[in-house]
Amino acid sequence: MNKYEIEQLIPQRAPFRMVDELLNVDGETAVTLFVVQPDNYLLDSEGVLAEAGVIEHIAQSASALAGYLSREHGNSSVPVGYIGEIRNFRSYSSACVGDVMRTTVTREDVFGDIVCVNGETWASDRRIAELQMKIYISPND
Amino acid sequence: MLLENKYYQIKEMKMNQQEGIFRLRLLPDCDIYRGHFPGNPVCPGVCHIETIKECAMRLTGKKLSIASVKQCRFLAMAAPSICPEVNVTVGVCPVEEGFKVTARISEEAKVYVEFKGLMTV
Repeated sequence: MNKYEIEQLIPQRAPFRMVDELLNVDGETAVTLFVVQPDNYLLDSEGVLAEAGVIEHIAQSASALAGYLSREHGNSSVPVGYIGEIRNFRSYSSACVGDVMRTTVTREDVFGDIVCVNGETWASDRRIAELQMKIYISPND
Repeated sequence: MLLENKYYQIKEMKMNQQEGIFRLRLLPDCDIYRGHFPGNPVCPGVCHIETIKECAMRLTGKKLSIASVKQCRFLAMAAPSICPEVNVTVGVCPVEEGFKVTARISEEAKVYVEFKGLMTV
């Protein structure tokens, strides 16, 4: 149902883009995909994605949702979001090169320019991580 | 260390058993800024989390994983043009599962990041 390419939805670019595809949006919930590639910037020597990379992937998933909603409102550019706060991040399992990360993000609240988001990431049947974050959305230029 | 000498360089460090203060230079030519964001180089918050983890690894002398983050606040926008050098202050407290880590990234009176989490060996 999503008709946009990922780079039409988020401002991040290689080598720091950490979402491949926005799969689905249902109201305030989005599902994204990301395949961990060997050239990812946040991999350790054993090919394990650092927790920071998982957090960035969830943040960019929230950015893809924000970008989608902005496009659907007819905006020609997408907003830039900055992480304001992370709470209750839990790492359950690590993600490695080749893993397909599937993330669900849900907008819980919006206060002015601040968006509160819950996110959870799985790789096949392994839960990778979950968190809550506040993202500051910088208005469209 | 994923980001040392790519994203930051350690200029100076002082450590004791529980605390370390690291003086870092943020490297403006780091590749990350090509994508975050094109024409608008801003430090990704998560790179500061990884930097804190790497400082905690130096302080403890152990390879650590971030098991949980109770809270991490990003209080001001950071970029090599805004803060070419920063201080990372890291405190570790040994617990059964690993280390409770509290950290702050700041420059003079300005605080950029405050972190509270649990890292495991």
